Amino acid sequence: MKQRSPASAASVSLCVALAALSAGCGGDGAPESTGGTLVVGVRSDFSGFNAITNSSQYTDELIKYALFTPIVQYDESLGVRPWLAESWELDGDSAVVFTLRSDVRWHDGEPVDARDVAFTFERAKDPEAASLLAEAYLSQVARADVIDARTIRFAYERPHAQALENFWWAPMPEHRLADVSPAELRNADFNRAPVGSGPFRLAEWRANERVVLEAVEDFPEELGGRPSAERVVIRVIPEAATRLTELVTGGIHVDIDVAPDQTDQIEASPDLELLSFPGRTVYFVAWNNLREPFTDARVRRALGYAINREEIIAALLEGHGAPAVSPIPPWSPLAPAVEPLPHDTAAADRLLEEAGWLDRDGDGVRESENGAPLRFTLLTSDRALNRAVVEVVQSHLRRVGADARLQVTEFQTMLAQFRSREYDAAFANWVLDNFQVGTAPFALFHSSQAEIAGSANRTSYGTPAADSLLEAGRAAVTPEDAAVFWADFVRLLKEDQPATFMFWLDELAGKRAGVTGVDMDPRGEFRGLADWAPR
Amino acid sequence: MTGFITRRVLGAIPLLLAVATLIFIVLDLAPGDPAAQYFNPNVPPEVYEQLRRNLGLDQPLATRYGKWLGSFLTGDFGYSFAQNRPVANVVLDALPNTLLLAVVAIGAMFVVGVLVGVLQAVRQHGWADRILSVIGLFFYSMPSFWLALMLMLVFSLKAHQWGWPIAFPATGITSFDYEFLSPWGKFTDRLSHLVLPATTLTLVLAAGVARYTRGQMLEVIRQDYIRTARAKGLPERTVVLKHALRNSLIPVVTLVGLYLPLLFSGTVFVETIFSWPGMGRVIFDAISQRDAPVIMATSFVFATLVVIGNLLADVLYAVVDPRIRYD
Repeated sequence: MKQRSPASAASVSLCVALAALSAGCGGDGAPESTGGTLVVGVRSDFSGFNAITNSSQYTDELIKYALFTPIVQYDESLGVRPWLAESWELDGDSAVVFTLRSDVRWHDGEPVDARDVAFTFERAKDPEAASLLAEAYLSQVARADVIDARTIRFAYERPHAQALENFWWAPMPEHRLADVSPAELRNADFNRAPVGSGPFRLAEWRANERVVLEAVEDFPEELGGRPSAERVVIRVIPEAATRLTELVTGGIHVDIDVAPDQTDQIEASPDLELLSFPGRTVYFVAWNNLREPFTDARVRRALGYAINREEIIAALLEGHGAPAVSPIPPWSPLAPAVEPLPHDTAAADRLLEEAGWLDRDGDGVRESENGAPLRFTLLTSDRALNRAVVEVVQSHLRRVGADARLQVTEFQTMLAQFRSREYDAAFANWVLDNFQVGTAPFALFHSSQAEIAGSANRTSYGTPAADSLLEAGRAAVTPEDAAVFWADFVRLLKEDQPATFMFWLDELAGKRAGVTGVDMDPRGEFRGLADWAPR
Repeated sequence: MTGFITRRVLGAIPLLLAVATLIFIVLDLAPGDPAAQYFNPNVPPEVYEQLRRNLGLDQPLATRYGKWLGSFLTGDFGYSFAQNRPVANVVLDALPNTLLLAVVAIGAMFVVGVLVGVLQAVRQHGWADRILSVIGLFFYSMPSFWLALMLMLVFSLKAHQWGWPIAFPATGITSFDYEFLSPWGKFTDRLSHLVLPATTLTLVLAAGVARYTRGQMLEVIRQDYIRTARAKGLPERTVVLKHALRNSLIPVVTLVGLYLPLLFSGTVFVETIFSWPGMGRVIFDAISQRDAPVIMATSFVFATLVVIGNLLADVLYAVVDPRIRYD
C-alpha cells in the first residue's frame, strides 16, 4: 500500500558528496521563535488526502494522525484502543458493533456519524474504486449495517485473529463525497482540499513545496485535545543533504527522513538530536524458485548461510537495523522467537556439495554434474543502499563458490522485471502498511498466489505444508493460537528459504534540540504530530 | 518581419507535434508503469488491473495516442496519474517558478558573460584575462549539481555556522513565515531565496558566453572600421562599447537562444537540489513515477519554450544587425 519513491542515482551521489564535505560541523543556535509554527522537512510531496484511494505512506500517516480520526487507534504496545469508536462489542466471532463518539466533527461543523463510516466502507469495497484500503483492511469484512447515527455493525467473512485491527482507517465525509463516482474518487477535488475530522485542518497545499496544517481548537480532550503547535508547515525537500542543511540552519525543525550516513553529523551537533526507531520496511533477497539453481531448497539455504547480515547491518546501516527472518516484524506482539540462519560458510559449503555443486575446474565457482556453473544475476534498483548491499552480498556468495552477476537498474525497470518474475535473484523490500501479521506472509508465500501474474508471490514458492500453516494462522481466532502457527511458519520459512530475509531498516529522523514532544515509534513518524511543539 | 514570425510559428506546429509523438512512443517503450507505484504485498493483481483500467493503461498504444492527441488538441492535458489532479494545474503551479528562475538566470548570464568577455578581450593576454579564463573554464567544466551543492555548503550551511552576516536560505522560494512579513520583507525574502539557484545556473552558462564574447571581440577589434574609429580620435571606451561590442554581440545573441535547452535541463538538477517547486522538479518526479500525462505536458511546454527562445534569438539578431532582413 505504501511505496517509497526511489532516490535517483544522481541525488544519492550528491548526498554523499555533501555529507563528506560537511561532516563534523557544529552549528550555533538558530532563532527558533516562530510563533507556534513548527516546520517539518519531508522527502516527497503528499498524494491526495483520501483514505479510500491513498497509497503512499506519509499521506496515510497524516490522514490517520492529523487530518482525520480513525475508528480505532494503536497504543504504544500495539494494542487496539478506542478512538472514533468510544466502545465496541463483539458479536461472537462473526461481527463487531461500534459505538461512535458524539463529539468528533467534520471541520465544516457536521458530526462524524455511522453513515460516514458505512459510506467509506461501501466505496472502498467497490472494485471500481481500486481501493487499497479494501485490500489492506477490509478483505475479511463482509458487510456494514448502520444501526443508528452512532452505532454501526460490521459482519466478518470468517472468524480471524486481530479482527479489530481491520478498522484502523478513517471515515471520509459522505456529505462531501457522495456525488463522486467510485472510479473518479482518485481525482476528486476533495483530496487536495479535504474537509477532515482530526486535530489539524489543511490550511494550504502548494504542490511540491509545502503543506500547512492548522490546529483545530475544539478537538475532543479524550483524543488529545488541541494540538501543541498552532501551525505545522511541512516542506518538501527532496535532497537528503539539503534537508540536513535546513535542519542545521534552522529552516526546518524536524527532518523526517535522515540517511544512515548522516547520523554521525547529527549526533555530533549539540543543537540536533537523532531519533531512531524500528521501522516497517524489511529487505530480502528473493530467489526465483522456478529457476535453476534455486529449485533446490538446499541451495537457497546454503546461500542464506553464506550471507553475513550482521556485517551488512554494522557496516552499511551503521547499526540502524535488526536482522530479519520473516516478514513478521520483530516488534510485533505475534513475532515468533526464531533466530535467522547464522552466518556459517562451512554449513553453506556442506549443503552445496550435498546438492551436487562442486568446484570441478578449480576456478572458484562451483559447477553442477553437467558442468553448468553456479552463476546467476542478482537484480536490484539503483538506490544507494540497495547497490551497496548487493555488492557486499556478491562478495559473501563468492566465498562459497556462487557467482552472482549484479544487475542494477532504475526502480521502475527493476520492478517490471521482478513483477513478471523475469529474474534469477532480486534484492528488494516490503513496507508493511498495518500490524496484521497474516497479510504479508500469505500474499508473499501462499501457493494460490504463485500462479497469478503480477502477484506478490514473486518467488513462486508454495508447498502444502506452508499453505496449511498460512491458512491456519489466518483462521486462528485468538492471538495465542495464531502465534503458534506463525512460529511454525517462520521455522519452515527459515528451512525452505524461498527468500533470504536480511534486515528491518530502522527509521531515522532528526530534530532541533528545542523542539519538544517529538516521539516516534513503529506506528509512524507523524504518530505524535499533535504533541510536537516548537520551543 | 511579421510575415517571418508567422511563418516560423506555423512551422513550429508540426515540429512540436512530432516531438510530442516521439515522447509518447518512447514513454511507451520504457519499462515500468504508473500503476506499479502500488508495489506492495497487499495489492493483489485484480486491484492492479482495475487501477490500470481506471488510468486507461489497458488500451493499445494507438488508441491511447488517439485519445491523448484528441484531448490535447482541444487543450485538455488530462489528469496526472501520480498527483491525481489536472495536469494543467500541475503545469500552472510550476511554470511561473521556473520562468522566474530562468529569466533571472538568462539575464544574469548575459550581463555577466558579456562583461567578463569584453574585459578579457580588452586586456588580452593580461593578468585579468588569464585569471578570468581559468575561472571561466573552471565553472564551464563543473556540473551544475556539484556547483549547487558547493554554493549551498559555503553560503548557507557554513555561512550560518561561521556566523557570516549573510547566509542564504538553501531551499524553497519563500520562508515559512512569508505571509507575516512586510512587503519589503517579502521582496527581500524572495530575492534571498533566488540567489543560490540563480547563481548556480548563471555561473555555468555565463562562462560559455564570456568565452564566446571574448573571441568575437578580439576578431572585431582587429577590423578596419575599429582602427578608423580610433584614428578619428574617439575615446577607447566609445570604440569598445559602441562600435566593437554591438558587432560582437550578433553571434552571442544566437548563443543565448541555443542555451535555452541547456538552461532548462539545468533546472532539473538545480530545482531538485534547492527544492525549487518548478518544472524541472515536476518533470523529474514525473519520469520516476512514469506519470505519462505530466511528462507529455511538461516536455511539450519545454519544447515550446525552446522554440519561442530560438524565435526570439532570430528577432534579436535582426535588431542587433541591421544587415539582416527577414522578408
